[in-house]
Amino acid sequence: MVFHPRERGSRRPRVVGIPRREFIRLSMMGAATAGLGPALLAACGGDDDDAAAGGVQLSRPDNPVTLPTFDDVEAIADDLPVESGTLKVFNYQEYISPDVLAAFEDEFGVTVEVTTFISMDEAIAKLSSGDTQFDVYFPTADVIGKVAAGKLLQPLNKSYLPNITNVWESLQDPFYDKGGVYSVPYTLFSTGIGYRVDAVVKTPDMFDNPYDIFWDPSNSGQVYLLEDDREVFGMAMLRRGQTEVNTEDAELVEAALADVSELNDLVSVKLGAEAYTVLPEKRTWVHQAWSGDVVNAQYYLPEGETIDNIGFWYPADGGGMIGSDTIAVMRGAERPVLAHTFINYLLDATHSIENYSWLGYQPPQTGFDPDLAVADEYVPAHLASAIIRPQDFERGHQLLQLSLPGEKIWDDAWSKFIAGA
Amino acid sequence: MRSVARRVTAWAGDPWRPPVVLAMVTWVYILWSIVPVLIAVQFSFNSGRSRSTWQGFSMRWWWGDAQRSLFHDPALRQAMINSLTLAGLTMVIATPLGVGLALGLARWRGRTARASNLLMLVPLSTPEIVMGAMLFLVFDNLYTSIPLGRPAMLLGHVTFSVSYVVVIVRGRLLSIGRDLEEAAQDLGATPVQALRTVLFPLLGPAVFASLMIVFATSIDDFVISAFLSSDLSSETVPIKIYSNVRGSPTPALNALASAMLLGTTVAIALAVLSLRFFRRGARGSAVEDFARLDI
Amino acid sequence: MLAAPGVVWLVLLFLVPFYAILAVAFGDLDPIFGNAVPVWSPFGWDFTLFTEIVERVFGGELGQVFIRTFVYVGLALTISFLIGYPVAYFVSRHAGRRRGLLLGLLLAPFWINYLMRMLAWVNLLQEDGYVNDAIAMFGVDRGSWLDGRSFTVIMGLVYGYVPFLILPLFAALDRIDQRVLEASRDLGMGPARTFWRVTLPMSRQGILAAGVITALPMTGDYYTADLLSGSPRTSMVGNQIEFYLFEGSQKNAGASLVLVLSVFLMVAMAYYMWSTDRTTRELR
Repeated sequence: MVFHPRERGSRRPRVVGIPRREFIRLSMMGAATAGLGPALLAACGGDDDDAAAGGVQLSRPDNPVTLPTFDDVEAIADDLPVESGTLKVFNYQEYISPDVLAAFEDEFGVTVEVTTFISMDEAIAKLSSGDTQFDVYFPTADVIGKVAAGKLLQPLNKSYLPNITNVWESLQDPFYDKGGVYSVPYTLFSTGIGYRVDAVVKTPDMFDNPYDIFWDPSNSGQVYLLEDDREVFGMAMLRRGQTEVNTEDAELVEAALADVSELNDLVSVKLGAEAYTVLPEKRTWVHQAWSGDVVNAQYYLPEGETIDNIGFWYPADGGGMIGSDTIAVMRGAERPVLAHTFINYLLDATHSIENYSWLGYQPPQTGFDPDLAVADEYVPAHLASAIIRPQDFERGHQLLQLSLPGEKIWDDAWSKFIAGA
Repeated sequence: MRSVARRVTAWAGDPWRPPVVLAMVTWVYILWSIVPVLIAVQFSFNSGRSRSTWQGFSMRWWWGDAQRSLFHDPALRQAMINSLTLAGLTMVIATPLGVGLALGLARWRGRTARASNLLMLVPLSTPEIVMGAMLFLVFDNLYTSIPLGRPAMLLGHVTFSVSYVVVIVRGRLLSIGRDLEEAAQDLGATPVQALRTVLFPLLGPAVFASLMIVFATSIDDFVISAFLSSDLSSETVPIKIYSNVRGSPTPALNALASAMLLGTTVAIALAVLSLRFFRRGARGSAVEDFARLDI
Repeated sequence: MLAAPGVVWLVLLFLVPFYAILAVAFGDLDPIFGNAVPVWSPFGWDFTLFTEIVERVFGGELGQVFIRTFVYVGLALTISFLIGYPVAYFVSRHAGRRRGLLLGLLLAPFWINYLMRMLAWVNLLQEDGYVNDAIAMFGVDRGSWLDGRSFTVIMGLVYGYVPFLILPLFAALDRIDQRVLEASRDLGMGPARTFWRVTLPMSRQGILAAGVITALPMTGDYYTADLLSGSPRTSMVGNQIEFYLFEGSQKNAGASLVLVLSVFLMVAMAYYMWSTDRTTRELR
């Protein structure tokens, strides 16, 4: 079941002691980002023959899905008063800025209580047990389908979310939740290779196939992959030029497993998701990493270390792994209006950028011009490949929900890999 | 000088001399077991954010830092309160259950007794992940009226603690023997009176040892708590530690663990002292009973 | 009578939950979340997945994980005895006036969290940590202790579980009547022979108990390998269980693995019970 998700067991606090960046003027040049690739929007339903995961339709960029609504799960009415009290939020660990939370608390005179989870599966297991009551939940795009089908979410009432217009047009109507019935986009990420410039013999660019850097014995003992079956095997597939990273073909998964298993003996590979501390502290040289973690590494540098020593590779042609996270309101929310208000607050141009400057993960805001991210000092110039543009989603590959039998294939392969045999 | 030499020779010539090597092994072991912990405590006072490189003394991670320090992070404080409450309640429930079970098992003979004995021993040797999974499944699917979170956690903790109590109390019972109780009954006491006036006072140290070990295992537990907790309001210190480790832990984590260590040590020291004060002359010591974990 | 509440408690919260593992291992998954849906009636059980797991254990790569786990536990247990037995022996027989102090110190590790104790080592073993500083003083090269080596994991297990091993040993050794040893001495046996012929056999029960109380929980441990290594090459059965139970779409595979592991543990437990019974009978 897991759609595993990029387990960011790891959102970390911004390091104390680092001078707060000045708040930077927002560049209001969003126009450039409007008009997302037709590929995302064009395709329309029609083929119902795709494998459904127990009544959950598998959404794909070329097969957008309108999530089901239910008579017994209604959206809230318009113009209700905002509740007071405590807003209960369920999110990855350290995946939202404490400063933004504090500002929201001040502005609305409420308390925000954030419960964290380490893996999306664990989160869903807790949510579906029915013993937890949260107002706001941060699902990954790939699980939206099943949490909606499982009646854990309530449809959003857009009248409370005027700021949705700040979001990239393509993601206002995403393929995984057409019309944004249950979710609004939160952050974007790509998966590439983080590395120590001052340690590796060859940087990824110097390889014919940059992914080969993980297989380079000269990095033995210094190689980390993400602790995530989809990311790891997906990377191995891209390395072989096999771009259907949501395949349920057992042979393709087995081939990826065989490739990745070589890493055990070749470089004694390790698994983790803490690139943002491991790289700056030079505890490893090569780390499969999410863009946001590499951007955030600049705040975790030990004394005497500089961000120049850290590099990030993402395919120049954009054909790498990419994805987005979302925000939703729980069906059993005790404070649904406050929950909507909170989401709208996060979609605000200023707040979302402030959140970004703490998180390192970029929001899909039209008001944030990726081309100015370097000039505005959000991202060091040499890490510009970690910046995500709307067109990256046209060329990139997203890890999406599989059918249950498909997941079993991936899971069993992962179990074989982590057996270390 | 010569007499010293003679004593050394005599000592070295005596095969039954106190074993110096063993003493050394023991002290080296104790240092090995404690020094890493002390160093972890030391790093809670680090002025930098590193947990491995010492950058000078500061109280930053205890209360200096306005956001991340132990004192200023409500989530860490809440976790401490949760851990202590949970351990306290577990102690109060598991100890009487275990004492009763131990008394019963000590008298029982036959098949049921052996089955109960096995039932009592198995939880001691069950890996935490197995017990955590079991309990999660049963609360999620069968005992659905008991919500995850504090109630489920309390029940879970009592379950894995009871056996420790039984083992400790039973060890004490064996060393007491039945003679005193029988003597009391010969002198006209009813079985209940014998239990109350003779056995219970003698069991004092064992009961106290049980309280301590239940408390210790409860505040130490991570896996079962993680399976059974629901949200922030029920998160305990080990859950916080684990989720922090998977991120980028700061010395505030060391401060949290140190505070727990300090708190429990003080509590135990006070308890030991007061027990000594009120029960002067009583035989046995709780520390000894704890140490005699005789399964 | 007194035992009733405790027994009822353990039946409801240990025996029944254990049955739940069966109901899940042989049960269904819900089609949306892939969560476990226990099948309580044995007549509805489906053994397909369980069979698959068993096949992977006997002959597949899971078998290697089991073997690795048993080797780690075996080595860790042996080292633990080599450390723990002398300590328990010394404290029970020769501690003298320091006995109370020593006992207190032996119990000290119980007051600090297991994860925290492992973390302490993670920091000591860093490339720039105190351990490397210390060995560098002797001219030895700094090592990468945390690069996924078995040695570190095994020592981590030893460090974590020795305190639990010492206590039952102490109990057994302390129970040996001093007069028995004096008798042995009077009969002309030297200390070595006394140890081999008297002390060791008499502490046999304690050794077994110590083994049971440490080795079995160690077998299901997953966070020690996680924290100190993180490499698939040092993963243990617990890591596989953790993966299938916490992640992955097959909670029933996780439950099946738990069952397989439990069978191994039960064999060990049964031997322990049988041996205890025999000893008790001999004593009577």
